[in-house]
Amino acid sequence: MRLEGEERMLDTLPKLLRAKARGAHGSKVAMRVKDRGIWQSYTWRDYFEKVGDLCLGMVRLGLQRGEKICIIGENKPEWFWAELAAQAAGAVAVGVFTDCVAREVKYFIEHSDSTFVVAHDQEQVDKVLEIRDELPLLKKVIYWDPKGLWGYKHPDLLSMGEAMELGRGMRRERPELLDELIDGGCGDDVAVICYTSGTTGLPKGAMLSQRWLVEGVREWSRADGWDREELEYLSFIPPAWATEQGLGIAGALVGNMRVNFPEEPETVQENIREIGPHVLFYGARLWENVNRMVQARMMDSTRLRRWLYNRCMSVGLRICKMQEEERPSGPLWRLLGWAAYQAAFRALRDRLGLTRAKVVYSAGGAVSPEIIRFFLALGVEIKLFYGSTEMGVVSVPPRGEVRPESSGKVMPWVEVKVSQDGELLVKSKFMFSGYYKDPEATARKMRDGFYSSGDFGYLDEEGHLIVIDRMEDLKPLSGDKKFSPQYTEVRLRFSPFIKDVLVVGGEQRDFVTALVNIDLENVGRYAEARRIPYTTFTDLSQKPEVIALVTEEIRKVNRTLPDYARIRRFVNLHKEFDADEAELTRTRKLRRAFVEERYGELIQALYGEGGEIQVEAAVTYRDGRQGVMRTSIRINDVG
Amino acid sequence: MAAENVLEIRKLSLGFGGLQVLVDVDLEVRAGEILAVIGPNGAGKTSLLNCINGFYRAQRGSIAFRGRPIQDLKPHQIAKLGISRTFQNIELYTGLNVLENLMAARHVHMRRGALLGALFFGPARREEIEHRELVEEIIDFLELEPVRKKIVGALPYGVRKRVELGRALAMDPALLLLDEPMAGMNVEEKEDMARFILDVSELRGTPMIIVEHDMEVIMDISDRAAVLDFGHKIAEGAPTEIVRDPRVIRAYLGEEESGAARG
Repeated sequence: MRLEGEERMLDTLPKLLRAKARGAHGSKVAMRVKDRGIWQSYTWRDYFEKVGDLCLGMVRLGLQRGEKICIIGENKPEWFWAELAAQAAGAVAVGVFTDCVAREVKYFIEHSDSTFVVAHDQEQVDKVLEIRDELPLLKKVIYWDPKGLWGYKHPDLLSMGEAMELGRGMRRERPELLDELIDGGCGDDVAVICYTSGTTGLPKGAMLSQRWLVEGVREWSRADGWDREELEYLSFIPPAWATEQGLGIAGALVGNMRVNFPEEPETVQENIREIGPHVLFYGARLWENVNRMVQARMMDSTRLRRWLYNRCMSVGLRICKMQEEERPSGPLWRLLGWAAYQAAFRALRDRLGLTRAKVVYSAGGAVSPEIIRFFLALGVEIKLFYGSTEMGVVSVPPRGEVRPESSGKVMPWVEVKVSQDGELLVKSKFMFSGYYKDPEATARKMRDGFYSSGDFGYLDEEGHLIVIDRMEDLKPLSGDKKFSPQYTEVRLRFSPFIKDVLVVGGEQRDFVTALVNIDLENVGRYAEARRIPYTTFTDLSQKPEVIALVTEEIRKVNRTLPDYARIRRFVNLHKEFDADEAELTRTRKLRRAFVEERYGELIQALYGEGGEIQVEAAVTYRDGRQGVMRTSIRINDVG
Repeated sequence: MAAENVLEIRKLSLGFGGLQVLVDVDLEVRAGEILAVIGPNGAGKTSLLNCINGFYRAQRGSIAFRGRPIQDLKPHQIAKLGISRTFQNIELYTGLNVLENLMAARHVHMRRGALLGALFFGPARREEIEHRELVEEIIDFLELEPVRKKIVGALPYGVRKRVELGRALAMDPALLLLDEPMAGMNVEEKEDMARFILDVSELRGTPMIIVEHDMEVIMDISDRAAVLDFGHKIAEGAPTEIVRDPRVIRAYLGEEESGAARG
C-alpha cells in the first residue's frame, strides 16, 4: 500500500524524475545517444541535473509558471531535457515538427503564446529568427547544437550550455528553488500541448495533463507488460506527437525503459541493430519498407539461401495461419517452427534489429495483413493500436491475439460507444483537457463526456474493436445506413485472386455489390493447376470454378463486416480496369465516380433480376484505335 | 602586411615545352580568407594549385608558405607542412569506407610505427583513438554519419565530394586548396557544400584557395577573387568588383559579345 501512496505523491513527470535520480538506481543509465560514433550514456542523476540546470536557467531568463515553450528539433536528449525543464518550472512544452517552414513555426509559437523556443540547430534557429520580430511574447531562443551558429550575435539567442550555466548560478544562490518549483506542480497541470493536424482548418492544440502522461502511461505500460523489467527503447518518432510523449518521455519515467537516440534520422536502421530494442514503434510505411528491404535482399541472395528462406517462410506462415484459425499446431509444426527460427529467422531478426523485440507497435494508416503475417512468421507481433491525441490509447491487441483486421481490445479505463450512424464515441479516464484557446472546438467534439472520434467502426462479438474508415469517406445505403467501400475494397485486394474491385452501394439501394477484376496471372495459374481450359481474360473470368473461387474470397471478407455492409452480389468484369481508359489513375487508384458511371448499366443489372447481362464496352487500344467488345457476363449471388 | 600572408607567390611561371601555362603570376593568400581563383577553361587554375602543392615544378618564381620557400619541396613534404587539397576528379581510396579514407588522411600526423599500429598496442592504440576522435569530429561536421561505414566507391557523387573535403580537413590543414568543389553538383548539394566551406572558414579560420567556375558560388562565399586568363593574372579584388571588370568580361565572353553585353 505504501507504494500506491508514493505513486500518488509522484503525480508529475519532474517529480518522478527527481525520485529516480535520488533513488537507489540514480546511477543507472537513463538515456543513450550515439554521438561521434560512440554511444554516450546519461544516468538518471545526469538527466535530473541537466533538467534542473536548464529549468533554473530559463527561470533566470524570465520563464514563469503556466507559460509555454516551443521545442523544435530531432529526437535527442536535449529535447527531453527541455520538456522536463519546462514542466519542472510549471511551464508547458509544445512540440513543433522539424520540417515545418518558418510560417508554420510562427503559427505554433504565436498560437501557443510561447515565451521560449528551444531549437535544435542552425536550420531551426534561422526559422525562428526570421519571424522573431513578429512574436512580441517571445523572450529567448535557446539552441543546443552550435554548429554554424558560432558567429550569430542576436540579443535573444543563447546556447543550451549558456542557459545551464545561468541555471547553475541560480542553484548556488537559491539551492532550494528547484525543489520548490517541482513541488508546485500537480497532476492536473497541463504538461504538453500537441498540435493535431485537422483535416479542415488550422491545427488545434490538444492539451495533455500530467495525469495523462503519468497515470495514463502507467496503466498502458502495465496493460502491455513494459513496466517491469529494464527495457531498451529507440526514440525516433517525433516527440511533438502524443505517441512519443507517451512512449519515450513518460514511458521511460513511468516504466523502466532506457531511451536510446539514433545518431541521425538516416542512421535509424543501423542504430536499431546496435541497440536491439525491446519496445519500439514503427509507422505503417516503415514496416512496409523493412519488408520490402528483406524481399529485395533475398532476391539478390544466393540460390541456396533463397531456397532456405522460402522454405522457412512457408513454415512460419503456415503456423501463423493455424494460430489465426485457432487450430492447435501439434508437435511436428512446433519442431518445424523451431527449426525455421534457428535456420533463418534468428539471423533475419538480428539484421533488422528485432532480436529482442517484445512490444512492437504501429498505428495510423493500416498495415496490410500480409505485412503483419510476415512479421508474425518471424515471431514479431505488430500491435496495431487505436487511439489519438485527444482520446489517448483506446485499444491494443492483447498478446497472442494480433489479428489483421482488428485494433485489439478496449483498454479497461476506456468506454467505447457506437453512435446511431456508426461513429465511435470514446470516454476515457485519460483524455485530453481540451483544445488550447478553442473551447468551441472542444465542445463540438465532446458530448456527455464522450469524444466523437470521427471514425466509423464497431465492436465485434469477442470485444475486438474494428475501426473501418473515417466517417466522411463513408457511402450511404438505404435506411440511413452507411458503409465503407474503401475498407471492403482494401481487404478484397489482399486476395491473390482479386486484382481490383469496385464496391457499390447507394441511398436507394438495400445492399452492397461489387465489380471484380480477377488477377489474370494467379487465377490463370489456379485454372491450369485444375486443368480448366480457357482462352481469354473474359472467358476465364466467367468460368464457374473461377466464380466459385471469387465467391469464396468475398465470403471471407464478408465475415469481417457487419451484416448490412456485406457484399450480396458481384460480377467478374470482362476486362481489367485500365489507366489508359482513365478508369485508374496513373498511381493505380480507382476513379470511383467515373467507373460507376461507365458501368452504370451493369450496376443497374446487379440490383435487378436477370442472371446474365450483355455488355458492350468501348475499348481504346494502345495505338489509339477504338473498338467495341461484346460479351455476356454472369451476375453472381454470394450466399 | 606581409607577415599576415599565409602564402606568397611571386613571379611564378610554368611552361610545358612551348606552351606557357602560368606567366609571372603574383598572388597572396591572407590569413583566414577565402580566395577564389577563376578563369576560363585552360587558364591555368588547376596548374597553379599543382604548383603550390608540388605536383608541378615551376621554371621561375617563388612560392613561400608562412615565409618559407616551398617551390623545391616534394608533394609529401608540402602536405606535411599543412597544405592539403581536394581534386576536381575526386581522388579517394574507392575500395575503402569513408572512415578508413579519413583515417588514412591522418597518416601524416601519426608518429608510431606500422608494427605497433598493426598490433593496436600501447601508445599506438592511444594515438589511434585520438585520431579517430578527430576524424569523428569531421564526420559530425560534414554530416557523414549515415555513410561512415559505406564503401566510398558506392557513394553518390555529391557525397564523395564531401568525403574528399573531409579527407582534406582530416589533415588539419593550415591552407586548404579546393579544386572545383562544386563541379557536377545539383543546386541543393552546392548549397550544402557552400555552407560546409563557410563553416570550416568560420570555425577553424583555415585560409583557402577555391578554384571554381560557378560565379554565383564565388560571389557568395569568397572574400577575394583573382582571375587568370591564358596564364596571366588579369584581375584581382572583391568578387563584386571582379564581375564588373571589363577585362574579366572579355576573358569570359570574348571581345564581341562583351561589347554587345555592354551596349
